[in-house]
Amino acid sequence: MSRAFPAARRRSRAAGPSPPGAGAPSIATVPFPNWTAVLRFLPCLRAVLVAGACVAAACGRPDARAAGRPSGPAAVLGVDDFGDTVRAAPPPARIVSLNPTTTELLFALGAGGRLVGRTHWDVYPDAARAVADLGDGLRPNVEAVLAARPALVILYASADNRAAAAAFRRAGVPVVALKIDRVAQFAAASRLLGRVVGDSAAGAVTADTVLATIARVRAATAGRPRVRALWPLFDDPLYVIGGGSYLSELMDAAGADNVFGDLPQPSPQVAREEALRRNADVVFSSPAGARRMAREAGWASLAAVRTGRVYAVDSSLVLRPGVRLGEAAVMLAERLGAAAGPVR
Amino acid sequence: MPRGYWAAGLALLAVAVVLGVAGGAVSLSPAAVLAALAGRGDAPTLAIVRDLRLPRVALAALVGVALGGSGAALQGVLRNAFAEPYLLGVSGGAAVGAVLAVAAGLTAPAVLPLAAFAGAIGAAALVLAVARAAGGGADVRLLVTAGVVVGAFANAGVMVALANAPADQVRGALWWMMGSVAGAGWRQVAWLAGYAALALGALVLWARDVDALALGEEPAAALGVDVERAARRVFVAASLLAAASVAAAGLVGFVGLVVPHLARAAGARSHRALVPAAALAGASLVVLADLAARTARAPLELPLGAVTALVGVPFFLARLRGARG
Repeated sequence: MSRAFPAARRRSRAAGPSPPGAGAPSIATVPFPNWTAVLRFLPCLRAVLVAGACVAAACGRPDARAAGRPSGPAAVLGVDDFGDTVRAAPPPARIVSLNPTTTELLFALGAGGRLVGRTHWDVYPDAARAVADLGDGLRPNVEAVLAARPALVILYASADNRAAAAAFRRAGVPVVALKIDRVAQFAAASRLLGRVVGDSAAGAVTADTVLATIARVRAATAGRPRVRALWPLFDDPLYVIGGGSYLSELMDAAGADNVFGDLPQPSPQVAREEALRRNADVVFSSPAGARRMAREAGWASLAAVRTGRVYAVDSSLVLRPGVRLGEAAVMLAERLGAAAGPVR
Repeated sequence: MPRGYWAAGLALLAVAVVLGVAGGAVSLSPAAVLAALAGRGDAPTLAIVRDLRLPRVALAALVGVALGGSGAALQGVLRNAFAEPYLLGVSGGAAVGAVLAVAAGLTAPAVLPLAAFAGAIGAAALVLAVARAAGGGADVRLLVTAGVVVGAFANAGVMVALANAPADQVRGALWWMMGSVAGAGWRQVAWLAGYAALALGALVLWARDVDALALGEEPAAALGVDVERAARRVFVAASLLAAASVAAAGLVGFVGLVVPHLARAAGARSHRALVPAAALAGASLVVLADLAARTARAPLELPLGAVTALVGVPFFLARLRGARG
């Protein structure tokens, strides 16, 4: 993985993964500020999306002709997470990526040089910092994105981004909306973006490497006794990793059962007494969170605290469901005492 | 109101609109903006000027029209210079109605204002009932207190409704509570214009009743006004204005408080002049506030409701001090 993505090793440790205000429900999966969104764009959405798809198709076609390909509808590359068809077009020379995960992924696919815009929170790899900061990734500033003159906009596929997707398409800019909350979604996004940027081999290799590494970790921990794990994200109120998060999947591969794995949300808010009742054997946490937990009397009764099994993990490695998912799984397994072998 | 003030008000609105279309997160040359307005230029510039900025400025102006007109009518009928839809909890009720409608999947631009309207009327009725039960429907302090309490209750209702909602819905509701015209499109503009024309027209038509009510219930009755009925229908029209603006742009506070004062300072006395004058001033205020919201920290945007509150709260305090002295 790190061969495919050398910058990953050199990444700055200073920057925290979640922006101020990324409070809550999406802290682990969508590192954007939380207060953005929309309720009122939903009207007329269907009509606009249909119109937008026509615009996207129409603007893809002349390019295809210019490239000497046969005219007619372009080949289908896949379907994005808003349910829209992604069609073949010449690889876009100017891309705006409005999700830290896809920004990192584009660099891994060798397309980082084509980025002309990113969100405020996309700071991995280091080279991403040199890309123009266009603000938020949820309810993005459409005007600022259009002014970057992208040939493709990659959005996080959350309902509050549908209005922006429609606006980009109205302006003739194709959109790929991707929801990346789970390992499988990351792998699918990697393959699709590989095809979109014209390097499907890189997309497939990145996806396969991540999946193979996680499978290897799972195999290495298969014979070991399972432990029960808690992953608090935010203290007050208490948000934890739930069953809907890729981190629950990584814990599972590393030999730990998430005590809140039964909750479907990626990062539910839970009562502290319930967290105590579910008495985890181990805790994964940010370094600051681990220190707080050791200090606070309220956590003293937790088995993990009593036995000293509160593990601080590198937030920059784990708080994005990105190209380093395999590396993150290896790290979790090693914390739990399993030798999962070197990261490929 | 002297003719010169009308001209000045229109000129101010024209300047605000020009600034609003010319300015934004991206700096475009005036020549590029003019060319885009005429339909010339590259695709991104055309989209920025014609599809993003124009409907946005139009929506902001209409939100200001609705809130200004609503505030002027409410201040008259309640005989309280501090009445406005936000402080009275009417906007909060509208937000509850709108959030519940969205949660139920009713999101058409035509339907959303009606759901907001139902919430606004419910909140208004509750505010009046609470004030009456506390011993004084006419006591302005009780009324404003009841409005604040009902507004807080409405907020709490939205929060409870959202406790288990998906993250995108929570973000949506929070955005709603802080106001924004960022998602403006021509369809919303058309619907808000329709509702605003309807309710504002009704208020201008009933302006003489508002004038009478502003004198007090007994003088109004002595002038032959059916006090209960007149007050009720003015309240309904003012609530519809507030609700339509909430459905289009969320909670934008203090506009309805500030602009009637400006209109009165410009010499508007009768409500036939005061309501349109407040609407005109409201349009300029919200267009300029939105321009500040999208340029102050570009490319990030400030919530529109926060900008109007930053303007409105000091104004409110200054007026409060003046009223006491």
